[in-house]
Amino acid sequence: MTLPRLMPLTVAISTVGLLLSSAMTNALADDHEPAWAQGRSSDMANSPLAPHATPLTVTAVEDIPLDHLRMPDGFSAEIWAHGMPGARMMARGDNGTLFLGTRGIGRVYAVLDNDDGEEREHVIIVDGLTQPNGVAFKDGSLYVAAINRIFRYDDIESHLANGDDIPEPEELTDAFGLPDDGHHGWKFLAFGPDGRLYVPVGAPCNGCEVDEDTHATIHSFEPDGSDMRVEARGVRNSVGFDFHPETDELWFTDNGQDWLGEHGPQDELNRLSETGEHFGFPYCHSHGVIDPDLGSEGACDGITMPAALMGGHAAALGMRFYTGDMFPEEYQNAIFIARRGSWNRTLSVGYDVQVAHLSEDGERAAISPFMVGLLDPRENDFSGRPVDVLQMPDGALLVADEQNGAIYRISYETPDYSEE
Amino acid sequence: MRFSKGAPWQRALLTWGGAAALGFALPAASDDAPAVGLPFEEQVQVCGACHGSDGNSRLPGTPSLAGQPQLTIVNQMIYFRERLRQNEVMTPQARGLPDAEIQALAAYYHEQPVAAPEGDPDTELKARGQELASQQRCASCHLANYHGREQMPRLAGQREDYLVAAMVGYRDRTRGGPDTTMIDIMRGVSDEDIKAMAHFMTHIEE
Repeated sequence: MTLPRLMPLTVAISTVGLLLSSAMTNALADDHEPAWAQGRSSDMANSPLAPHATPLTVTAVEDIPLDHLRMPDGFSAEIWAHGMPGARMMARGDNGTLFLGTRGIGRVYAVLDNDDGEEREHVIIVDGLTQPNGVAFKDGSLYVAAINRIFRYDDIESHLANGDDIPEPEELTDAFGLPDDGHHGWKFLAFGPDGRLYVPVGAPCNGCEVDEDTHATIHSFEPDGSDMRVEARGVRNSVGFDFHPETDELWFTDNGQDWLGEHGPQDELNRLSETGEHFGFPYCHSHGVIDPDLGSEGACDGITMPAALMGGHAAALGMRFYTGDMFPEEYQNAIFIARRGSWNRTLSVGYDVQVAHLSEDGERAAISPFMVGLLDPRENDFSGRPVDVLQMPDGALLVADEQNGAIYRISYETPDYSEE
Repeated sequence: MRFSKGAPWQRALLTWGGAAALGFALPAASDDAPAVGLPFEEQVQVCGACHGSDGNSRLPGTPSLAGQPQLTIVNQMIYFRERLRQNEVMTPQARGLPDAEIQALAAYYHEQPVAAPEGDPDTELKARGQELASQQRCASCHLANYHGREQMPRLAGQREDYLVAAMVGYRDRTRGGPDTTMIDIMRGVSDEDIKAMAHFMTHIEE
């Protein structure tokens, strides 16, 4: 399936409108920009660049672009589960249930672990929430973070296994006391090796001054919402992180600012070496790009630079370290990173999974394509949007495709070149 | 259906999440919308009772669906169905409607020709509305001909009273839904300006 990408549109403005708009509209228009257009310069005002709408309907299995996927030799992909519009962030229960957050469609899915040759079933655990993107699992409980609320579902897998009604969750919204801004307010969730729940709070804007203790941060909490700590500051909008399997350091992706240019500032892969480190937003972007409005000389002093650059507007989101036995040795402790793909540039990038290999000193990383094919650069079109990755117990890698509501499973077998 | 003997929640959820999307016909639950399970022709009659048999509404306050982009109708129906957009009339009408049926209805209304608006334009008001719409950059999403695209609705030829109500609803934040773009755009716009823009959009000449 190929989706029609936004075509450059010739917006014919009437003569009357043009005269007026040049004379008197800038102040008015600035007050009336939607959130995603904040920071758009007046010469881009009629640009057709805007976020791509995510389908809210089921993609028929024959329309899922499995045959577009390309990986290095030896890797192959299959459809592991499908029929879940908007499927985004993944968390796996102890008994094998895969939980999936969403944004626009407001649901949390559970894919049941019934690999008995039949198609995997899924159920909708909850619907009607505001962008319940974040899911995490610990000690039998599923944690769900929507923009304005946080819930805990205890013993969720036994209820699913018994076919019981899902009991009302414990609401932890007040305990966590997080802001509920719509802009960049959707949450990623993950438990750290310290047993604490890590929660990012994005900047409530494209670019703006923020309170460094409440926004553009990654917080951590005890699972009950107590003992809040600011782990990282100056993080514009992180929607994915994981902990180094040996050092326990937090590594996270961060989305660069829009409307500053076709090519950047680039998204980041970051490493937190010390609690409270500052990663630059809103003054210093990417690899040391001073913000044209809010930054000044020295704005990048004392700022932690990225471990790797992830591409301009590429939307690097879910990421996990690989520790499985299935993939070749070179993938041990490497990071798989899903890039949902760009909207704020005319020449698209992303729509893939990259792999980041860490330097010997463990401070930097180099990125390289791992799963590609959903972006057609000749047509500047895309057919899928990877949002998250998850390692399975057998070492296979799941990839969530939000555009098609599908989960792919990537597995590896040593290629036998003599066969060909 | 493996869960057909399961608890009611499982039947209901699987209806939406799995079987319904694949086009299975399942018995409608009691709180489903009246159109659920009806043949397509009868579903069109249910919708047409308010929206007009050809998708051109003659009922004050009720929008025309004729000529709307398919995705506009699909997304709004799913927002209603999922209770993400609350509306006394439409939330219950969308309850339990499967994706495939919503998509078929949207395709049908997209194809219907847009009827001429009721009444004649007030030239002065229309010109003022056109200026305001240009200032607000409505065309950057709804297109220069205001036919809309993808999830962004057609405005050209829409009922004037509906356009006024929709814009006021966004401004006053009484019209919900997951996409807050229009709430940001309509912030602080006066009743007078809304009336002028609605008048212009209703009377855009093809």
